[in-house]
Amino acid sequence: MDVFGSFALLLAFVCALYAFVGGIAAIVTRHPLLVKSTRQAGMATCGLIFIATFSLEYLLFTDNFSVAYVVSHSNRDLSTFYKIAALWSGMEGSLLFWSFLLAVYVFSVLIAYRNKNGELMPYVGMVMAGVQLFFLTLNNFVESPFRALASGGMLVAARDGNGLNPLLQYPEMVIHPPNLYSGYTGFTIPFAFALGALLARYPGEKWIHLTRKWTMIAWMFQSLGILLGAHWAYAVLGWGGYWGWDPVENASLLPWLTGTAFLHSVMMQEKRGMMKVWNVWLVFCTFLLCILGTFLTRSGVVSSVHAFAQSNIGTWFVGFIGVVLLVCLGAYLKNQDYLRSENQLDSLISRESSFLFNNLILLVLCLAVLSGTLFPVFSEWISGDRISVGAPFFNKVDIPAGLLLLFLTGVGPLLAWRKTSTESLKRNFGWPLAIGVVAGAIFFASGFREFYSVICVILCFFVAATITLEFYRGAKVIHARSGASFAACAIDLTMRNTRRYGGYIVHIGMVFVFIGLAGAAFNRDVQKDMQIGQSMQIGPYTLVLQTTDTKPEKNYTAQRMVVEVLRGNKPTMMLFPEKRRFAGNNQENGTMVAIYSTLKEDLYVVFAGQNPETNLPVIHAFLNPLVKWIWFGGVVVVFGTLIALLPNRRAVLALAGAPQPQPVVQPLPHALTPSVTLREGHD
Amino acid sequence: MTRPRPIAAIAALLMIASLPLMTTPAGGQQLSDRAKQIGHKFMCMCGCNQVLTECNHVGCSISASMLKELNQSLANGGTEESITQAFLQEFGTKVYAEPPKSGFSLVAWSLPTIYLVIGTLLVIFVISRWRKRPATESVSGARTGASHVSPELLERARAQAARDTED
Repeated sequence: MDVFGSFALLLAFVCALYAFVGGIAAIVTRHPLLVKSTRQAGMATCGLIFIATFSLEYLLFTDNFSVAYVVSHSNRDLSTFYKIAALWSGMEGSLLFWSFLLAVYVFSVLIAYRNKNGELMPYVGMVMAGVQLFFLTLNNFVESPFRALASGGMLVAARDGNGLNPLLQYPEMVIHPPNLYSGYTGFTIPFAFALGALLARYPGEKWIHLTRKWTMIAWMFQSLGILLGAHWAYAVLGWGGYWGWDPVENASLLPWLTGTAFLHSVMMQEKRGMMKVWNVWLVFCTFLLCILGTFLTRSGVVSSVHAFAQSNIGTWFVGFIGVVLLVCLGAYLKNQDYLRSENQLDSLISRESSFLFNNLILLVLCLAVLSGTLFPVFSEWISGDRISVGAPFFNKVDIPAGLLLLFLTGVGPLLAWRKTSTESLKRNFGWPLAIGVVAGAIFFASGFREFYSVICVILCFFVAATITLEFYRGAKVIHARSGASFAACAIDLTMRNTRRYGGYIVHIGMVFVFIGLAGAAFNRDVQKDMQIGQSMQIGPYTLVLQTTDTKPEKNYTAQRMVVEVLRGNKPTMMLFPEKRRFAGNNQENGTMVAIYSTLKEDLYVVFAGQNPETNLPVIHAFLNPLVKWIWFGGVVVVFGTLIALLPNRRAVLALAGAPQPQPVVQPLPHALTPSVTLREGHD
Repeated sequence: MTRPRPIAAIAALLMIASLPLMTTPAGGQQLSDRAKQIGHKFMCMCGCNQVLTECNHVGCSISASMLKELNQSLANGGTEESITQAFLQEFGTKVYAEPPKSGFSLVAWSLPTIYLVIGTLLVIFVISRWRKRPATESVSGARTGASHVSPELLERARAQAARDTED
C-alpha cells in the first residue's frame, strides 16, 4: 500500500504539472480541447491525492510499521480515533493532508463551474494547479509520507511505533487541525479567482460574487479552527489560559484578520465599484499569510509549543512565497488599469468610511501581530540578541485595537451607504449608547474595575443593542404587514437577506467572544501541595482532595486526583484532574485538566505533579470568569456564517420592472445615482 | 499460606509503573503575589514560548527551576532589579516577556504606532482623493430632463439602486 500511495502521489504531481503547464498553453492558444484536458487533469490530480491520503490512513490503521511515518506517529495501542489524527501529526502527513484538503476545494470548484465562466476558469484552474504543484513537490520529493523504514541500508519493519504525541491525544485534536487547515487551504480559491480575474481582465465584479461563498467557507473554518485550538490549549496545556500569543497561534490569526477585512471591504466593490486594488491585494495577502503561517509552523524559525513538526523545509516556503509575490505584483502592474475605482465618496459619515476604518484597524492588528511574531528573529539577525515578544506585549498593543474594532462593529450597521445625516446618527446611536453606558456602570459598580474590561463591556452592550435594533426595526415592518409574531418576523427577515442578517449574527457571536475575553482580567489562581483530606479555597469554591488513584487505559496509565468541589459547604461535583503516561516507545506524559464550567465562571483544576520536596501532589486551581462565552460565541459565529451562506428566500426590494443586477463596468452619471441617502440606518 | 490476590498484584504493579509520573516535577511553585507579578515579566526558557508563571506544560523542568530561583531570591531579600539582572546573565535578553523599552527593542514598540499613523494617513489620502474625484458625467442630463436618459442608463440606475439596497 505504501508503494501504491507513493505512486498515486507521483502521478498526481504529473497531472498537476500538466494542468499547470497545459493551462498556460490553453490560455495562450484558447484551444477548446486543451482547456478541457487541463480541467480533467486538474480533477485527476485531486482524485490521485485522495487515493494517496487514504493509502496513508490505511497504513496507519493496519499498523504497517515498515513505513517510517507510521512508526514515528502511531503505535498498536493507539485508538482508531487517534489513528485518524496521526495523519496530520507529523510534517509529512500534515503536508499530504494539506494537499488533500486543497484537492477537495479544487475538485469542488472544477465541478461547480465545469460549464460556466469559460473565460475565467482556465486562469483559475491554472492558478489552483500551480499551488497544488508546489505542495505535491513537497509531498513527493521533500517530505514523502511513504518513506520506508530503513536501517543500515536495509528495509526493516519495527515491532511497534513511537506513538502519537500525547498533546495530540485529545478529542479536539481530531477536529481542530482539519478545521484550521480547511481555512488555510480554502483561501486558495479566492486567491485563484482574484489572480485569474486580474490576469484575464475579467469584466465586472463577477469574480467577487463567485468567490464570496468560498471566502466565507474558508473564513468560517479558520474561525472554528482558531477557537478549537484555543479550547485545546485551555483544556490540555493546563496553564489556565486559552490564548498565549504563541507564534503558531499568531500565524493562524494573521490570514483570519486579512480575510475578515476582505469580507467587509468586498462589499464596497460590489456596491460602489470601489477599493478594487485593495480587495485584490487583500486576497493576495491572505493567501500569502496562509503560506507564511505554514512556514512558521513547519520551519522552526520561531519556537512554539504548538510546532509539532519542524525541519529545514522553510526554504521551500520562502521560495514559494517569493514566487507568488512576484506573480501577483507582475499581474497587478500589467493590469492595474482594470482595477480603477468607479465611484466617489459622498460623505465621511458613511458606511464606506466605516469599512475603510474597519480595514485599517484589521490591517494594523495584522501587521502588529506579524511584526511582534517575527521580531525575535529579526532582532537576532540585526543585533545578535534574540529578544522575546510574549503575551504582555501583544496584550498591550492589540487590546486597544481590538476594542476599536468592536466599536466599529457597532457603528458600521448604523451608517448608511453614501451619506448619513446627523439626525439619523442621533436616532440610531442614542439607545445603544445609553444601554452600553448603563451596562458598563453596573459592571463597574459590581467591583469589576479593570479599565479595558469596563470599556469592553460597554462596547459589547452597545454593539448588541445596535444589532438587536436592526432586527427589531426590520421585523417590525414585516410584523405590520403580516401580523406574525416578532420571532417569526425576525426569522423571515433573516431569510430574506441572509448575507446581511447572517453577518449580524456573526457580529453577535463576536460580541460573546469579547465578553469572554473581558473576563480574563479577573482570573484568579491558587496552588497548593495537598494531603488526602486537605482542602483549598478559591472564590466561592472549596476543593477537597478525597483520594488519588491509578487508572489503566489501553494506551496510557492515568494518575488521577479525586477532588470534591463544595460551594458554601454544599457538595457541587467531583473533578478528576489527571496526568497520563502514554504507551509507545517515547513514554511521554500528558495532562488532563478538570473543568467545572458555568456561564459565570470556570473552575479549572490541574494536577500539576508532585512536589519533590514534600512528596505531596500539587493542585493548581484557577477561577476564570466568563470563559464559556468565548466557546458559545464561536458557535454563534459559525451559525451566522452558515446563515449568510444560504440563498435569500426572496428579494428584499422589488423595483417595478427592474432587471437582475448586471455588472456595472462604467460609473453611472451622477444625475442618475439615487439622490436620497439609501439605507438610512436600516432598510 | 494465602496466595497473593491478582488484583492486589496488578494494583501494586500499577503503583510502581506510575511512580515516575508521580515524581514528575511540579509545573510551578507556591508563589507569592509579588513572585507572580515579577514572574509574569519573564519567559519560560524551555522553548515553549510561554510566560514563566503560565508555563505548565508537562515535563517542563526549566520553569520549575526558574520559579524556584525567583522564590528564593525574593525570600533572601532580592529586588526585581537584582532578579532581572540574574536572569539576564543566565539566559540573555530572550528571557524578557516583552521587549525592554530601550535600544533596538524600541522598534518593536514603535512599529504598531507607525502602522497606525501610516494607515490613517493613507485612509485620509484615499478619502480625499475619492471626494475630489469629479463625477464622470455632468449633471446636464438631469437638467435637460428625463427624456435624455437612455433606457440603458435607466436600467443601470435601477440595478445600482437594487444593489445599494440589497444588504
